[in-house]
Amino acid sequence: MSVRLHKLINRPEDLVDEMLEGFCAAYSDIVRCGGDRLLLRARAKAPGKVGLVMGGGSGHEPAMLGWVGEGLLDVNVVGELFAAPGPEQMLAGIRAADNGGGVLICVSHHAGDRLNAELALDLCEAEGLDNVDMVLLYDDISSAPKGREPERRGTAGLFFVWKLLGAFCEGDAALASAKALAEKVRDNTRSLAVSLSSCASPISGEVMFEMADGEMEIGMGLHGEMGMGRRKALSADATVDLMLPPLLEDLTYQAGDEVLVLLNNSGSLTLMELFILYRRAAAKLAEAGISVYRSWIGPYATTQEMAGFALSLCRVDAQMKALWDAPANGAYMKQSLGGLD
Amino acid sequence: MKHIGAAELSSVIRAVSGRIGVESANLNRLDAALGDGDHGRAVGGAFAFAADEIGALPEPTIGDIWRTTAKALLNRMGGASGALFGVFFLRGVPLLRGEDALGKAEMGALLQSGLAGVKARGKANIGDKTMVDALEPAVAAFLEAEDFGSAWSGAALAARQGAASTRDLVARQGRAKYLGERGIGHIDPGATTVALIFEAIDEWWGMNAE
Repeated sequence: MSVRLHKLINRPEDLVDEMLEGFCAAYSDIVRCGGDRLLLRARAKAPGKVGLVMGGGSGHEPAMLGWVGEGLLDVNVVGELFAAPGPEQMLAGIRAADNGGGVLICVSHHAGDRLNAELALDLCEAEGLDNVDMVLLYDDISSAPKGREPERRGTAGLFFVWKLLGAFCEGDAALASAKALAEKVRDNTRSLAVSLSSCASPISGEVMFEMADGEMEIGMGLHGEMGMGRRKALSADATVDLMLPPLLEDLTYQAGDEVLVLLNNSGSLTLMELFILYRRAAAKLAEAGISVYRSWIGPYATTQEMAGFALSLCRVDAQMKALWDAPANGAYMKQSLGGLD
Repeated sequence: MKHIGAAELSSVIRAVSGRIGVESANLNRLDAALGDGDHGRAVGGAFAFAADEIGALPEPTIGDIWRTTAKALLNRMGGASGALFGVFFLRGVPLLRGEDALGKAEMGALLQSGLAGVKARGKANIGDKTMVDALEPAVAAFLEAEDFGSAWSGAALAARQGAASTRDLVARQGRAKYLGERGIGHIDPGATTVALIFEAIDEWWGMNAE
């Protein structure tokens, strides 16, 4: 039996445009709306620097709207609900991100995002836009086994890529080194998610998948794709205890490693729950001899009102720590000069 | 009828758009089990847009019609399916340069080029629980048939059987891949759309070929 939720929207067909209008009105000091459902920085980057463009379906707010700004992304190409934007819209985004230093298309790995980015690259070639490249980003360890990392999906942990790559491209980096940095962050990042409830499509109002009360699922992607398995819901501590070992084992994080930690709220968990979860994660990381350089807790990549969270780790070296602490000004990612110290 | 000209091709795209529009809610339901429940809305909207755009073209050639359909699917549908249905049409555009009518052999070549494009881009093969499970047998049946009429009916039947075969498969491409064995028992919506397209053309042919 299907369940319907009432969402506070107007006409479903206006959903994406009205959301963009509202976002641009609220954060007009940081971003502006271009045509073609492009979200741009209010002030463009200096000429000659690598432009960063990221396309994706909507419905995961504040991703990716909140990541456009100084020290972050240049352009977000906004797709329909949960659907990657098409190649011509991506091409418009690439042109808008082009400051003369080349453009890197950042693809959070899902079939639609990858295919449309590849087609956009074909269009660039046909139109003589050279100096454009793409990087495939992924972090979810539940979506493909170790050894088959390029098949994995992009999820909440790409948070680290946006921040570090954004900071890197404020400097005088070349396109190839920007891509190498993105790959370095990706290869040091791992995520695993847990969900406790489904969510409803804001278009149809219908619940997107069935989930019984008192169940939890480990390893669910951003769209509710089913993951590693369902089980009876556990306590906060037991949930973290189940998630950390496979995460730590996947990248062979070791004692002495320094990591950035993100506890991402998928939608409707309370901050109270997230702090309790983080308490356990921090204690277990300390037990393993892994030190936390910085931690972030909050709703950064959501799937509507789904109850759940993702735990993401990114192993950092001195270069990455400096990039993390570099200034950033996005609506949902702010870092003042010199970091938090 | 031995050839399809521009007027007929416009009419075919309208017929496909109409058929998918009628089945849109069913496609959404199929997609709700394996994806995010909007396939019918997305593909129906894109074909309707294509039909409108074609209707607004002054004296379009068959190449214009094929290209307009490709662009509508690529840019209006979104996601992986928009890219792949779009590529199916886009691949055929160079074959239509200077052509003003399609015989059975030319149509077969057009379908073959589209299939090759979809397989190359989507990296999917028969058995992966994707649109290829309906498209590949449909194209093969079309090519094997003696004449245009039986080619469409053979393709429609093969596409529907191919779509039905996805019910028992575990997806190896696309979003449904992450469902693993829990996708068993559900028919792939993209394969169903392929079947609807060929069925709509077959029906159109039955009503218009004489």
